[in-house]
Amino acid sequence: MTAPNPQSPAPSPRFKIFRWRAIGPLLVLLVIVSVLWWLFADTIARRQSQKIGTQMLGAKVEIQHLHLDLGNGDVTIRGLTIASPHEPFKNLLQADELVADLDVVPLTEKKIIIDRIVANGLRFGTPRETDGRVAAKSGDGIAGRVLAETREWASQFQIPVLQLATGKISIDSLDPRRLSTIPAAEALGARADSSRRSWQAAFDTLRIGPTLDSASATLEKLRRSRATDLATLNEARQAIDRLKRARARVSTLERDITQGAASLQSGLAGLDSARARDYAFARSLLKLPSLDAPEVGSALFAPGAIKPFERVLYWAQLARRYMPPGLFPRATTGPTRVRRAGEDVRFPRERALPRFLLRSAELSFLLRPTSDQPLRYAGRLTGLTSDPALYGRPMVASATGPQLSAGAMLNHLRGIPVDTAGATVAGIRLPAFELPGLPLRLDPGAATMQLGFHLNGDTIHARYAIRSSNVRWERDSGLANTTIGNLIWRTVSGISNLDVEARLSGALHRPQLAVRSNLDQAIASRLRAELGEQAAAAERQMRERVDALVNDKVTPVRARVNEVRSQAEAQVAQQRARLEELLRELTRFRLP
Amino acid sequence: MFALIKLIQSLFGALHSEGTPGQLAAGIALGSIMGLTRLVNVHNAIVFAAIVLLNVSFAGGLLGWALFVPIGFLLDPLFDWIGHALLFAEPLRAFWTSLYNMPVVPLTNFNNTIVLGSLVFALLFFVPLFGVTRWAVARYRVTVGARVRQSKFYRALMASKVYNVYRTLRP
Repeated sequence: MTAPNPQSPAPSPRFKIFRWRAIGPLLVLLVIVSVLWWLFADTIARRQSQKIGTQMLGAKVEIQHLHLDLGNGDVTIRGLTIASPHEPFKNLLQADELVADLDVVPLTEKKIIIDRIVANGLRFGTPRETDGRVAAKSGDGIAGRVLAETREWASQFQIPVLQLATGKISIDSLDPRRLSTIPAAEALGARADSSRRSWQAAFDTLRIGPTLDSASATLEKLRRSRATDLATLNEARQAIDRLKRARARVSTLERDITQGAASLQSGLAGLDSARARDYAFARSLLKLPSLDAPEVGSALFAPGAIKPFERVLYWAQLARRYMPPGLFPRATTGPTRVRRAGEDVRFPRERALPRFLLRSAELSFLLRPTSDQPLRYAGRLTGLTSDPALYGRPMVASATGPQLSAGAMLNHLRGIPVDTAGATVAGIRLPAFELPGLPLRLDPGAATMQLGFHLNGDTIHARYAIRSSNVRWERDSGLANTTIGNLIWRTVSGISNLDVEARLSGALHRPQLAVRSNLDQAIASRLRAELGEQAAAAERQMRERVDALVNDKVTPVRARVNEVRSQAEAQVAQQRARLEELLRELTRFRLP
Repeated sequence: MFALIKLIQSLFGALHSEGTPGQLAAGIALGSIMGLTRLVNVHNAIVFAAIVLLNVSFAGGLLGWALFVPIGFLLDPLFDWIGHALLFAEPLRAFWTSLYNMPVVPLTNFNNTIVLGSLVFALLFFVPLFGVTRWAVARYRVTVGARVRQSKFYRALMASKVYNVYRTLRP
């Protein structure tokens, strides 16, 4: 054994890559994380479900209790509340309990495959204390965008307004400055003067007179000369050429005058159109009530009829965003985080599992939950998936029960998605509503409601109908002392049936809305009978006032236009006739 | 304020620790991955395990994380752009599709534009950051390190209770 030499350099310590002693604390940390997961997994899953559900639907999703049993693949949710994205203090649905049978293995691929959900105690349209709308307030995310789009879509419909509030036909003062005929007449008069000047200038530049004089002289000379006088014959040939050129110039001017005259004539027709517009403007000052039945129906029921279409369209469009056809990569807004959410891109692959699939759901729910005898219903839903092309079957939902029949099919298997839904609910108590433009309140009572919706690509066909046999009318005090108020009240108060139908059809971006009801014809015919004579007299009076203001300007302009046109045409015709005559005379001689 | 003092203490503690410049730089570079990317992600569990298990400066790791968190927030739009470009690149589509349909891999959230963009950026940034930091620490120690260690500021900073707590935890 040798002693260490103090002079030799100390060996450098061997560098260790791993810190083995840290394995212990790391394992402890792992155990702590596992314990925390075991303790708080349900809470984390509940909060995440609420957060993602809220973000997806655009309305608050609240869960009272969630229990994960991954060992058995069970998820139990109790006290689920989904707020309405459209109404502030209403829930879309509430569920007492949902039990989901989950496939555990696909969770390792971050795919949620639910074989079966049993939902009990579903209730729809229940009231809530706080505003549950999220997308409507923030406008963020897919739900926010879809909501904004459907709102804009719904706002495009032009709904006529019934102007019955005053109850009498009034004529407001007619301001001549607001009539379009007078400035149009002044402009046309100026155009006529301008045309006259330009045609005269063009006529002067033709210099027809010298040509005609020269040709006349040549003709006389030709008559007196011998047939062998070559100089005269040459002169005659040149005169013919000049006459032909002059005729071409006259023809050109004639075409210009014809076009200008046609333009002036259309200006005169424009005066007639302007006068028609002025009549319409004057009629609008009369505040005449609408007398056409379709307009009455649209004015009364279109605002209420558009809402169900708007809501169904919102859900259909949301489904199209979350369940797109095809297998292309697709991006959706990522979950909200402290940092930027970014986009989650999905990469579906043939014969692989979809990102989300609910194979089957069995629903049991109540209608009229607050009544003494709530009605129990059953429903079924199959094939709700994020990747319909992978699942290969459309989503189908149906519900049946006493006085209810509903079904929906979302077919997003091919390039053009087709969404269909229909429901008939009888005995449903619809809320009373005010009729737009009328101080009347209509309580439809227990009604039968039908909704049909078919969206094929971008073509929509939808129908919404309400029928009730025991409607009640309430009269607003503001209507009591007006002629029309009494008239409308007498018309509708005796009607106990209500039959409203709204139809929507055409391209989604510009559909046609038609609304009819059994009240339209009744109100329109009563209005026409009572107010028709008064309206016609008032319209006549208004027309006379328009004519009195307009005729002073239009009549002289009309005369001036006709004079300018006829003068120019006569001048040209005269010169052309002279030219033709000389040409005929000259060409009668046989020129070599 | 507490966090700021702690950060400054961490900085000086790490600079004057017994670790080599390479260990400190590796710690900071690994910590920068956690700071630049979203914290709650599978890859960050791996990075954290690497900081703990590898013989790098743990303080450097914490320092790198703390320093790069605000930078990560600032660069999120860039990360989003990088992630979007990569995830929608046609030549990579088959690769992403196979990853997406593989077990476990989707749990990393690689298909999120921010996660992928920030991770790719952090990995590319790792080597230059490591090199620059190692050079800077070495320069600091041979130039002003000794003077700073003897300064009143340093002694006051390191004498505070917070530093004592830190010392009990340092590896």
